[in-house]
Amino acid sequence: MTLKKVIETKKLSRIFKNGDIEVQALTDIDLVIEEGEFVAIMGASGSGKSTLLHIIGCLDRPTSGAYDLGGIRVNTLNKNELADIRNQKIGFIFQSYNLLSRTTALENVELPLVYDRTGKFSNYEKLAKKALEQVGLADRIYHKTNELSGGQQQRVAIARALVNNPALILADEPTGNLDSKNSIDIADLFVRLNNEGKTIIIITHEEEIAKFAKRMIYLRDGRILTDEIIKNRSTKESALKELEITT
Amino acid sequence: MTQFFKLFKVAFQAINKNRSRSLLTMLGIIIGVAAVIMTISAGEGASKQVRDQISGLGSNLMMIRTKTEHRAGVNVRMGRPLDKHDYEILKKNAVWMPQLSPLVALGAQVIGPDGNKSSTIYGVSSAYFNILNRDIVLGKTFTDEDVKTANKICVIGETIREELFSGRDPVGSQIRINKVPFTVIGLLTAQGQGVMGQDQDDIIIAPYTTIQNRLYGGTEYNMIMASATSENAIDDAKFEATILLREAHKLLPDQDDDFDITTQLEIQEVSGSVMNILTILLGAIGSISLIVGGVGIMNIMLVSVTERTREIGTRLAIGARESDILTQFLIEAISLSLVGGIIGIILGILGNQLVYKLTNFIIPTSVSSILIGFGFSVFVGVAFGYFPARKAAKLNPIDALRYE
Ligand SMILES: Nc1ncnc2c1ncn2[C@@H]1O[C@H](COP(=O)(O)OP(=O)(O)OP(=O)(O)O)[C@@H](O)[C@H]1O
Ligand SMILES: [Mg+2]
Repeated sequence: MTLKKVIETKKLSRIFKNGDIEVQALTDIDLVIEEGEFVAIMGASGSGKSTLLHIIGCLDRPTSGAYDLGGIRVNTLNKNELADIRNQKIGFIFQSYNLLSRTTALENVELPLVYDRTGKFSNYEKLAKKALEQVGLADRIYHKTNELSGGQQQRVAIARALVNNPALILADEPTGNLDSKNSIDIADLFVRLNNEGKTIIIITHEEEIAKFAKRMIYLRDGRILTDEIIKNRSTKESALKELEITT
Repeated sequence: MTQFFKLFKVAFQAINKNRSRSLLTMLGIIIGVAAVIMTISAGEGASKQVRDQISGLGSNLMMIRTKTEHRAGVNVRMGRPLDKHDYEILKKNAVWMPQLSPLVALGAQVIGPDGNKSSTIYGVSSAYFNILNRDIVLGKTFTDEDVKTANKICVIGETIREELFSGRDPVGSQIRINKVPFTVIGLLTAQGQGVMGQDQDDIIIAPYTTIQNRLYGGTEYNMIMASATSENAIDDAKFEATILLREAHKLLPDQDDDFDITTQLEIQEVSGSVMNILTILLGAIGSISLIVGGVGIMNIMLVSVTERTREIGTRLAIGARESDILTQFLIEAISLSLVGGIIGIILGILGNQLVYKLTNFIIPTSVSSILIGFGFSVFVGVAFGYFPARKAAKLNPIDALRYE
């Protein structure tokens, strides 16, 4: 059985220039991720995890190298095509949420549907409510973002990434602001989404969360240090049991 | 179209979410528009009023006077006074000035049945009423026959009627002017205040012959008034009068005119340019308020650029196209500017009305002031709402999200 390559990068580099100072955030990243994979990216702070995920999510462009997404050479696409890819194919969860302020959870989650041009969604509110239910926020849908805790905002951000049912979900520390119990719930949600066929990439600092994934990539100084299959994956039950032991 | 409708909703949500920013933006526009409307209208209103009054006198009007020169603070008469001789030469020979009237003015005490008053008596010919476009509401004007026989009759203005007759019908009654009895034969249509604020209805008009014979004794005229055949004929009429009077006064070619001819057009031009200066001045004040309003709008927009750039980054990140962002911001800016502009227009018109209530000075709200004020404010509102957004929408989503 040959799986379709969802992501393929060749010698991907990203250099940030601020005046005279150059920061080489990514160097020669060669990476292939296939359909249905669940990848965890780890690495020290500043190792380039977010930068890599932004490029994969078509939010940023590489300085050099090639990037193919679903067989399409992203480097050659124009802005509108990139916008449509972000809208239809990718659900992105930011490290800092990036929700609209003074706006309700529901309206935030509806937003990707507003920019949908395929016309395949009709009842925005119903879809948004369903996504909020999935992340366990059914009772907070009319709260404004500034009335929610950090963890709740994070879950709104996750719901927003799920609402338009994208094939690829990218999450930058999706459990960074949650306690262990909630982190496990979210990790389990990703597992379920992955079982439904979605390709998922998450960045995390926590080994316990990373072990829910099928594959782990370790970055150091903008390069891939290790890239291996996770042998004994965690499940919700095993993780909860371990949580009980340690506490 | 449905995309446009969705963006419309997004834009109104955004306006609603940032109520204080939206209100402040509108306030800048409201102040700008209202201030411009009030100042420009005031300028245009004042100059229109003056222009109307001057042209109400008849645009063909000419006034021929003895030349005077200003010497050591007093007006000194330089030439021969104008008299019957000049008048008759003009009357007999002029073709461009069919209407001619001498004018002899005299301050006098007038006594009527209900009161007395000191006023000005004008001695004129029957042509005077045509030359100055003055109409009669009651009775009639006098005829050439009355002038020839120096009848003791007169036409009076509304103010005189009020003072001397308590507003009753004066026609047929007698009044005494410096003790000489005159019969009132007509009442002039009221004209109100003149250009210089004088009361144009405080007036008594009688045949100049009567005034000269009964009240004055002299043979000189204060001036000869004339009306050219048309506005275009004024230059010809002026030239003709000059030739005729120079001949009458036996002036040699190297001698200067000893008379002055002022035409209505010249008066209009002078006062017109004064009024233009006034309008420009008020316009300048209006422009300053526009700039103040504009800077206010600019400030609010620039202060919110950081927040809005992040918002734009968020929208781009979840798949908004550049054009979606631009449409949203354009709708926001245009809506705020339009609503603010309309409120500003209403306030400006109400403001003009308030000025009228307080000062009795009628300010017709000028259309050009509405267009200028509205146009500029909407331009500023849209420019400062739209262009920062356009800049942000062109960024990589991640750069817009990181904007500080
Ligand atoms: N816009 C930028 N301009 C300049 N340098 C940048 C920019 N973004 C990231 N960098 C640099 O690139 C490097 C990688 O940053 P990145 O955010 O990818 O790290 P990270 O692995 O996500 O770290 P963390 O775990 O703290 O989130 C860092 O050295 C950072 O300083
Ligand atoms: Mg990061």
